[in-house]
Amino acid sequence: MKNSERSPETYLITRWQQFCAGDKSAFGELTELNYAALYHYGTRFTPDRDLIKDCLQDLFLEIWEKRETLSYIAAIKPYLFQSLRNNLIRRIRRQSVFSDIHDDDVQDDLSPESDWIIQETDQLTSHRLKQAIDALPKRQKEALYLKYYENLSYEEIATVMGLQRQAVANYLQYGIQKLREYWQHATIFLALCSEIAWH
Amino acid sequence: MNNYSHFQVKDWLDDPAFQRWVYHGEQDAFWKEFIPNHPGQQANIEQARELLLAIRGELDALPDSEVKLRVSEILNAIPDEQRRALPWWKSNWLKMAAMLLLALGIVTALFREKENLRNLQTFVAGLGDGDKPQLSEIYNETNAIQLVNLPDGSSVILKKHARISYPAAFAPDRREVTLRGEAFFEVVKNPEQPFFVYAGSMVTKVKGTSFSIKANDDDDDVELVVKTGVVEVSALESEGKKEVRAGKKLILKPNEQVTFNRKSLNMVTKTVQKPVLLNLPAESQNFEFRRTPLAEVFAELEKTYGIRIQVDARAIAHCTLTARLGDEPVHEKLDLICAVVNARYETQGNAVIVASDGCE
Repeated sequence: MKNSERSPETYLITRWQQFCAGDKSAFGELTELNYAALYHYGTRFTPDRDLIKDCLQDLFLEIWEKRETLSYIAAIKPYLFQSLRNNLIRRIRRQSVFSDIHDDDVQDDLSPESDWIIQETDQLTSHRLKQAIDALPKRQKEALYLKYYENLSYEEIATVMGLQRQAVANYLQYGIQKLREYWQHATIFLALCSEIAWH
Repeated sequence: MNNYSHFQVKDWLDDPAFQRWVYHGEQDAFWKEFIPNHPGQQANIEQARELLLAIRGELDALPDSEVKLRVSEILNAIPDEQRRALPWWKSNWLKMAAMLLLALGIVTALFREKENLRNLQTFVAGLGDGDKPQLSEIYNETNAIQLVNLPDGSSVILKKHARISYPAAFAPDRREVTLRGEAFFEVVKNPEQPFFVYAGSMVTKVKGTSFSIKANDDDDDVELVVKTGVVEVSALESEGKKEVRAGKKLILKPNEQVTFNRKSLNMVTKTVQKPVLLNLPAESQNFEFRRTPLAEVFAELEKTYGIRIQVDARAIAHCTLTARLGDEPVHEKLDLICAVVNARYETQGNAVIVASDGCE
């Protein structure tokens, strides 16, 4: 498995170098390959899909502008994640200066889009577990997402989130522990429910 | 293969092959067989699987087609270099041709339909050489809506008696138009070249958004409501001047409406349920399509923009579109649709002619 992961990696680095040299098709390909992951990561910060797409467009146009200065970057994905995170947080802060009162309305505005969200969450995933993850501090949730869903290393997560490696390790450990506690509660609860249903 | 028999929940969480199965369904057959054969691990596996799913949370559906559309938008937004062919509405030699075509289109329209006689009137001011930028003014005298394509590709839908003027080519650092009456704007995103709408003593600055303006000469107020993006509204020192009065500035977000008093320059904002100011289809249309037959997509565009799309219905009978087209101007929407369904299009006046090889 490791080997098959390595070769796309080197391919991406080659493409990145070509992009830095001004190759637009390499740029297009890198954009396409990273767009979905960045978009999903963006949804961790705001429900405003248009804002995310806006930030993504800005991000890619910006790196195209400064492509000549980017050839030193070897860890492409963490670099893109970090840039998106910074842009997005800056934009959200700037917006919220003007919209302390109207935050709810922005949510309303998005309701037609909720049709687009796949309700793919498994029936088996207990409601409690969802509550548990919602109850986790934002940054812990984010670290867990980057570690498990995006498969980033501790060092890479530290770069993206602007943290020390040790802080990342703590976040992850604490987060998993919390989730497992909830899971255990949930299992007992479910077991009880099925007991009752049986009798 | 690993020896999984001593695995704890934590080990499952960290197992890359297991993660790939949970998240991406990789090697499904292997895991479907593995789990029933390892009853001792079933509880751990189930717990790890649910934890992983909870960590991921819900993800939006993001079809490849939409990613492709977004990427093509990004590529299109890259400032032009010599090598790159310009889109037809931006290219220089076509500007003159476009003017001619527009004039021709009007003449043809006059002959074709008598009603159209008063339909379209285009005043092209300042043709020929001169130091002043050439201004075009379009006035919609009809009762129907009229689509105007600006030199940067942005779309403006004029309601009746609305009037817009704009230069034949925008300045490199700013795009400026003047509006009287009621119109809906879809502005091409270009942060380097902000877009300004002058309406009475109010100026609206955007980078790429959609919004409606109501600026009737007889009304005391100018009104604006934002559909998408962010809009900056300021008061001018006086009508016709471009100096912005200090301190009279507001930032508006989607579904926010401003009422601007022409005399006092006071601005009152409110939040609205729907960004509908002019009762235009474009204001409430979201352009979300899921496996929608292409013919229906085109019908929506025709209704929204007041254009005619000519296409061989048999050729596109099997074509469907899944995309969210959002607030792009009409030409970007057409570009993207055509890119997805492998078609080409050209415009003649208010008619769009689409050629498609069909979809199977």
